[in-house]
Amino acid sequence: MKTRAVKAIIKKDIMAIGSNVQIWLPMLLIPIIFSLVLPGVLIIPARFYELTTIGNMDTILKLLDNLPPGALREIILSFDTVNKKMIYFAVNYLFAPFFLIIPLMAASVIGANSFAGEKERKTMESLLFAPVALPSLFWAKILSAFLPAFFLTILCSLLYGLMVNLTAYPLFHALIFPQPNWLILLFWVTPALSLGAVFVNVLISAKVKGFQEAYQLGGLVILPVLVLFVGQITGLLLVNTVFLWWLGASLWLIDLIFIKRVGERLNRDKLFASQVL
Amino acid sequence: MEKEIIRLEKINKTFTGTKIINNLSFSVQRGEILGFLGPNGSGKTTTIRLINGVIYPDSGQISVAGFDPVTAGNEVRKRCGVLTESAGLYENMTALDNLLFFAELYEVKSPLSRAKELLADFGLSDATKKKVGIFSSGMKKRLGIAKALLHNPEILFLDEPTNGLDPEGARDLINYIKELNRKYQVTVLLATHLLKQVQDLCHRFIFIHQGRLLETGILTELEEKYLRSISLKVETGLEASGEEFAGYRIENRAPGYLHFQLEKKDDIPLLLKEILLVAPVYSVEMSGRDLEALYFKIREERR
Repeated sequence: MKTRAVKAIIKKDIMAIGSNVQIWLPMLLIPIIFSLVLPGVLIIPARFYELTTIGNMDTILKLLDNLPPGALREIILSFDTVNKKMIYFAVNYLFAPFFLIIPLMAASVIGANSFAGEKERKTMESLLFAPVALPSLFWAKILSAFLPAFFLTILCSLLYGLMVNLTAYPLFHALIFPQPNWLILLFWVTPALSLGAVFVNVLISAKVKGFQEAYQLGGLVILPVLVLFVGQITGLLLVNTVFLWWLGASLWLIDLIFIKRVGERLNRDKLFASQVL
Repeated sequence: MEKEIIRLEKINKTFTGTKIINNLSFSVQRGEILGFLGPNGSGKTTTIRLINGVIYPDSGQISVAGFDPVTAGNEVRKRCGVLTESAGLYENMTALDNLLFFAELYEVKSPLSRAKELLADFGLSDATKKKVGIFSSGMKKRLGIAKALLHNPEILFLDEPTNGLDPEGARDLINYIKELNRKYQVTVLLATHLLKQVQDLCHRFIFIHQGRLLETGILTELEEKYLRSISLKVETGLEASGEEFAGYRIENRAPGYLHFQLEKKDDIPLLLKEILLVAPVYSVEMSGRDLEALYFKIREERR
């Protein structure tokens, strides 16, 4: 592995994010909405109004009443008001899938730019003409999409935590975030998922002509997570700790299989044929 | 040191059912400037890619400085600099950032000073901090060559280097290549279809057509072999009616000019002597002896 080349490619790709509005704008907007606006609009009104008077909350209330036995049920039941119950449940569980969407989105957008963009701008040829071994090139490209996606997620979580605790403290007089499930989500599930999203983009980019196309197809990666989100709201798939461990483990396994298979198949001739010709 | 730096033996390459390279064999000597000539689509770019090991031949052997591009590609690529047809630069980055980036890939020592030196050499000092996206095609070509030279390669591949350059830019570039070759003995393989610009630059020529080698040799050898007659345009006051003058065939006439067709170079002074006996001669120009005429002739005969 040539660290000089790997570092240079990562640096170049990360710098390129800033110069393309199609990339940095969604990466700026979506995190702001998820980490600041969403908890804000839930928690701040909850300090002044009964949430049940605002809209139809029956589904969620029913869900809260029917929580499976365990730590979460006990904590939720220990709160004296519906508002507290709802806020605690929303910030720690309901919103959790957003923090899967952020890395997925970032990894997809940056990955699409990193691979298909290189092909579209006819610069892949220059990279392949350089004396850089393919594994170095491959890992540099993977990391240049993975690292920003991962750090963006961490940053968003910090902002989210700050926002949640600042706004909810007057109500709870305690820090309600993060719960242990968040740490598993952030450091176990998210990296595996981001890496998987980058891999999917590598595969997509090998087949498409340009960034736009890769970006659109990359959207398909986000869909499964949306399904998970809807599933969770309806109480079908309540995200719990054990489930998160297993989810992360299976994602890592898929990543590993992918790495192994791609590693065996890396071939300059084939890559050139698919990325340049 | 071995004289031969690149050797291709019976190379074949098919891509999506089309034979692009057909039993191609040739070699390049260390320190020479080789003109690699052929029409668009004749396999020039593919040959450069094969030599650099970014695509693999279906059959045949390639050796570059003793290395096989398929099995020791990075050793080959370390020694080669390539200007691809699209120049392959990052348009959203500045000229300097482009060079600094590639300097890392090629593990150049002291990248900054090397990059600045090359930018100055190619008249791009003023554009150092400008994004490549706003460059003219000539500037992009120059930067592309600077990129190819970053690591002081032993062999330089130039794919249509003068394409998109104005005559001045093309002349500057050709002079730079000449100097590079003279000063540092860089071997140059120059692929082009623009024959006029390279005829004085190249030491030797290879003509390919549809992936096959048509002919190879130095200019005088090839002229000797293919150009059996010479067209001579003489600016003269001579009034010659009829098809011949002193036994030399008049091919064509224009006011103040006569075009003679001669069989050999040695006839030129004899003809001129004859004319000067009866009329003044103001200028003499040999036509049909440039690379272009040669190229068409070779294509016609060897295809």
